[in-house]
Amino acid sequence: MRFHIVIAAVFCCGFADSRKIRGISSSYKRFYRERKSFLCIDGSKIIPFEQVNDDYCDCDDGSDEPGTSACPRGRFYCTNLGFRPHYIPSSRVNDGICDCCDASDEYNSHAHCQNTCWNLGQRERAYVEGQMRTLDEGLQLKQQLIEEGVLLWREKQAQLRELQQAAEDLQIKLEEHRRRKNEAEQTLKALEAGDSGLRHHNNTITSMFQLLDSNKDARITVDELQAKVTVIHDEGRLLSEDEAVALLGGAHQMDLTKFRHTLWDILTKGDRVKIKDTHGSEDSTVGEDSHLKAADRAAKWEATNLKKVEEAYDTVNMEISDLQKKLAIDYGTDWEFLFLNSQCYKLKVYEYTYTLCPFNQVTQENTAGTQVSLGMWGMWAGAPKNHYSQMVYENGEPCWQGGSRSATVTLTCGTETALRSVKEPSKCQYIMDFQTPVACQPVLKQRGIHSEL
Amino acid sequence: MMASAFILWLAVCLSGSWAVDRGNFKTCDQSAFCKRQRALKPTESPYRALLETMELTNTRLTLQLINDNNKVRLLLELYRLQGNITRVKINELKPLKPRYEVPDVLIREPPTEPLSLLSQDENGVVLSLGADSQRVIVSARPFRLDIMEGREVLMSLNSRGLLAFEHLRIRKDTQAEPEAENKEEADQTNQAEVAKEEGEKVDDGMWEETFKSHSDSKPNGPSAVSLDFSLPGVEHVYGIPEHADTLRLKTTDNGDPYRLYNLDVFQYELYNPMALYGAVPVMLAHNAQRTTGIFWLNAAETWVDISSNTAGKTVFGKMLDYVQGSSETPQTDVRWISESGIIDVFIMLGPTAKDVFSQYASLTGTQSFPPLSSLAYHQCRWNYNDQEDVKAVDMGFDEHDIPYDFIWLDIEHTDGKRYFTWDPHKFATPKEMLQGLMDKKRKMVAIVDPHIKVDSSYKIHNEIRSRGYYIKNKDGGDYEGWCWPGSAGYPDFTRADMRSWWASMFAYDQYEGSMENLYTWNDMNEPSVFNGPEVTMHKDATHGDWEHRDVHNLYGFYVQMATAEGQIQRSGGVERPFVLTRAFFAGSQRYGAVWTGDNAAEWDHLKISIPMCLSLGLVGISFCGADVGGFFKTPSSELLVRWYQTGAYQPFFRAHAHLDTPRREPWLFGPENTALIREAVRQRYTLLPYWYLQFYHTHRTGEPVMRPLWVEYPQDPATFALDDEFLIGRDLLVHPVTEEGARGVTAYLPGKNEVWFDVNTFQKHNGAQNLYIPVTMNSIPVFQRGGSIIPRKLRVRRSSTCMEHDPYTLYVALNPQRTAEGELYIDDGHTFNYEKKEFVHRRLSFVSNILSSVDLAPDAQFTTPSWIERVVILGASKPSNVTLKTADGQESQLEFDFDSSMSVLTLRKPGMNAGADWTVTLK
Repeated sequence: MRFHIVIAAVFCCGFADSRKIRGISSSYKRFYRERKSFLCIDGSKIIPFEQVNDDYCDCDDGSDEPGTSACPRGRFYCTNLGFRPHYIPSSRVNDGICDCCDASDEYNSHAHCQNTCWNLGQRERAYVEGQMRTLDEGLQLKQQLIEEGVLLWREKQAQLRELQQAAEDLQIKLEEHRRRKNEAEQTLKALEAGDSGLRHHNNTITSMFQLLDSNKDARITVDELQAKVTVIHDEGRLLSEDEAVALLGGAHQMDLTKFRHTLWDILTKGDRVKIKDTHGSEDSTVGEDSHLKAADRAAKWEATNLKKVEEAYDTVNMEISDLQKKLAIDYGTDWEFLFLNSQCYKLKVYEYTYTLCPFNQVTQENTAGTQVSLGMWGMWAGAPKNHYSQMVYENGEPCWQGGSRSATVTLTCGTETALRSVKEPSKCQYIMDFQTPVACQPVLKQRGIHSEL
Repeated sequence: MMASAFILWLAVCLSGSWAVDRGNFKTCDQSAFCKRQRALKPTESPYRALLETMELTNTRLTLQLINDNNKVRLLLELYRLQGNITRVKINELKPLKPRYEVPDVLIREPPTEPLSLLSQDENGVVLSLGADSQRVIVSARPFRLDIMEGREVLMSLNSRGLLAFEHLRIRKDTQAEPEAENKEEADQTNQAEVAKEEGEKVDDGMWEETFKSHSDSKPNGPSAVSLDFSLPGVEHVYGIPEHADTLRLKTTDNGDPYRLYNLDVFQYELYNPMALYGAVPVMLAHNAQRTTGIFWLNAAETWVDISSNTAGKTVFGKMLDYVQGSSETPQTDVRWISESGIIDVFIMLGPTAKDVFSQYASLTGTQSFPPLSSLAYHQCRWNYNDQEDVKAVDMGFDEHDIPYDFIWLDIEHTDGKRYFTWDPHKFATPKEMLQGLMDKKRKMVAIVDPHIKVDSSYKIHNEIRSRGYYIKNKDGGDYEGWCWPGSAGYPDFTRADMRSWWASMFAYDQYEGSMENLYTWNDMNEPSVFNGPEVTMHKDATHGDWEHRDVHNLYGFYVQMATAEGQIQRSGGVERPFVLTRAFFAGSQRYGAVWTGDNAAEWDHLKISIPMCLSLGLVGISFCGADVGGFFKTPSSELLVRWYQTGAYQPFFRAHAHLDTPRREPWLFGPENTALIREAVRQRYTLLPYWYLQFYHTHRTGEPVMRPLWVEYPQDPATFALDDEFLIGRDLLVHPVTEEGARGVTAYLPGKNEVWFDVNTFQKHNGAQNLYIPVTMNSIPVFQRGGSIIPRKLRVRRSSTCMEHDPYTLYVALNPQRTAEGELYIDDGHTFNYEKKEFVHRRLSFVSNILSSVDLAPDAQFTTPSWIERVVILGASKPSNVTLKTADGQESQLEFDFDSSMSVLTLRKPGMNAGADWTVTLK
């Protein structure tokens, strides 16, 4: 077999100028111009030109055998007309496996390789066209989403401002209510204090005076006195007019000031006369209590009101902080990822249903309905050039062997937003493929099919 | 995504500590028979040979032994076997019922040689063991055997009086009337009466024993056997795998004996005598004059005690003894104890190690000749999740230009741990997957374990149950244990009909989704029973007439046997099988490869892989490897690289990882580490012609492929305990780097007047020296022996099959006498056609400046397109011209290149066919 190769090589040499050196690209042709000798491309060695592609490795860099498998570090150029040219390791030359679509790598093996470049090229072109369409469409959608994102962003900002305004209003309200509550409490406190001291003295003189002053003309008359006061030792007997006049200090009537200094002492400290036992005094106590209760009710009312306002204030503040937190997340340069927030995407893979809620969390649910957290929003983790191509969700539920579950989400360009695949290459480490128009990058468009022609 | 039951089970197993839970496994004290037997101390043996019962035929001597304490008689049989082997069998003369004798392990009834009586008197007899002035002296009172050569005692049996034979007996405490069965045997009754008179005490554990929550009913009562062997002049003994211990066996006076009982040990500990997954009851004894071997053919639980009269002595003490000349001879004493069966021991008398290998091979056979591709690199993981995953990993190897031949699927590929099935979602189109691999000339291994899910909708289970092939529990029902699928039955592989049914299940029309590039892995075949005693089967389970106790260590052997047979049958007997097993026994070498089980990603586990595989090689099992990277835990990238570098030079080269560890395909650790791993794997592929030749040799001779230095340098005591380096065949010495952060290693290069060539730098080093070798992460210290010729294929491709027709480069390393010799073996790499003489086998030799290729098998026929593309002569001088002469008489001048700094002569493209006669003359 070797001899065939040698013969073929010799045969080729007859057409020195037109001879094609197997396994090189056109840009390398200059190194392989037909001369007497060949200089290894790394300059390490000069060999006779016949030893180029003679199936023996002479150059350390493998440059003398671009078309055979002789050199361990060699590479073979597949021209692949109609498709993409590329290099393969020279160990794949004549190994019985078709690598180049133009079948050029299997020129001396049992493999029956077809030239599939045209088909591949067509498929590739169709694919690329499809990709382009997807990209175009995706970019349009992305533009919409960016616009929506900006609007959403503004909306959220407005919402934030509204909330902040509401918070300010509430703050004012809150202060007002605090003041009111304080006052009510003061009143209540005062009432409570009267009940225990002042009320016993001051209120009792007044109330006894009021009790005696049946017609409420702020004067106690003889009739009024006779009606309410009795002799201690003979309760059935009414006061005579004279006795009444005497109690009134010789006059027929008495005002509160005089009462305080004369009759009050006689009635409360003397042992001759007393007020008749009626339920009048009780009535007066009830009257005093209802004041207290009213004050108490008022205080409570104010406290409840304050609490309500406080709660409203806290809620608003919480909403503000939530919103601020959300707005603090990096949604891309144009807020294009903002719309993903508060969305969730599901995918069933074998026996599990996965749910990705972007910027929030990832979960896994089995058919029995048990839910496991695979991670909470962590960060963007794409390469610096493509920062927004990957998301990481961390600190999911712990794994039994230690550590916690985590998910890495790779974002790819597509016309729909959907979860495309979920894998668990290592235990508890999930990899997701998430397709969305906002992952479409205009740069992709520059890539196309290169052709040797 | 594992079943929660499994997680629960593992969690229970893990409970707290990382290492093995020793409490799960018995010590000698916890194994009633071992405790009983070990309590017997060296003394005058109660056994006496009844010379008047001696019968000597042309092929065997028989003789009765009597135990003077209980009057039970034993029958001794002594055979002289071809190839310098003596077989000693001892059984009860009239056992109550037959005792188990291990079938199927010996490849045939060993051919005998005549024994002749040299002399006889009332004290004993002397028999001649053939020509080599070897004799056996049978002493009568007390009974002992001494094997002599000239005036030298090679080995003595029962010299310490530890022959013990627990005869089968009727249970006395609760036993029903024994008369009915026993009347007819007068002897029996006598014995029983005598025993009664002796007042033989009934120990705990004779009729029942409990370990943890498991009780072992022992319907047959005590049945242990034991015998001691004394090895005068011996200080080094090896073998009796599998243990995670040094190559040289240690004395066991201060701890437990080495245990042989196939067990699924979770996270095993290193450097101790605990039993592991496999058992080969073969021990080699070596000193500078002689190598001998003992093969104790017993498949029951076995313990081996080793003691030595020099073990405690310091080097100075030994020197003093030597100077004073007064010392007793060093001696190693060995004692074997087995739970049941008989004593059937093969004494292999060497005298060289290679003689012992061939003697042992003549009994149990040699390593199966594996398909060439199985010597290449294997990529495994528990688990590759689905077909897409398999495809992605396959592509990863191509993208990173790393060759591999086999990708493996662990238990998750099945439909609910039902072996012979595929997960209907994750592996929905297995043939498509296998075809994809085949298109790249690659192969796959899928696991098939012997525990069968109890599930009435599972074909395999239904068939086994309806045919009555399951092992039975003590009450006669199908034995059920807990394993990966949950409740599982265990087919009785000791049955030939069961094995042939199992083999038929590998037929392409039975094993759905299988194709010719799908091979098999038998795991858990100790057998592993999660809820059984010591994680294995109850000893009172039954295999027909026998208890599991009798056959335990054979189970894994039979599983692999049946599986390999299935693979042979599916191809109509054309293709060689490849089956990996975890459990094994003597003879397992005939059925495929073995790995060292569930190791861990630790440096010590990397180190221990060397003595573990060396020990297996010494007892016939050459196709051995350890999980590259370590199964449990996660290796640092340094450890992973070092493990690849070591594994690339061990016979079975497979990376494997636990389900819970992060992915570790070779390209996941940065470009530098990827390059290091790529280089290690590529070195393996360049050497495949040499590996293949070594396996051809071991298939023919039983000599280990990976061998300790002492095998080749038997008179150099410096080699006797080396187990951090090894030889591949005779010609490559490997000292892998197994230390973290190593800056250098010290390798011992053996052989006075020999030289060794660094295979990377071609630098020459003298033998018989400790050589310090500075290392970097690139370094794999490997040396080629001066005087050898090694063929390589330097065009490393995607898989070994892609390299089939590639040309060879011959590395001729000259010795100080400027000669060298080697071989080249070529066949189709995968069929049994080599048995029909379809191969090329050539001797390559360099003598008097002539390199020539001579046919070693003129009657063999094979045509290879491979040619010789390069000859590299190490230690050469510069010739003025080089002439190639081919078989047709044509002469041509060869171009050459001479590197004077390293004395390396490279002949450019001589181009002759690798199967042809030729000479190359240097002038």
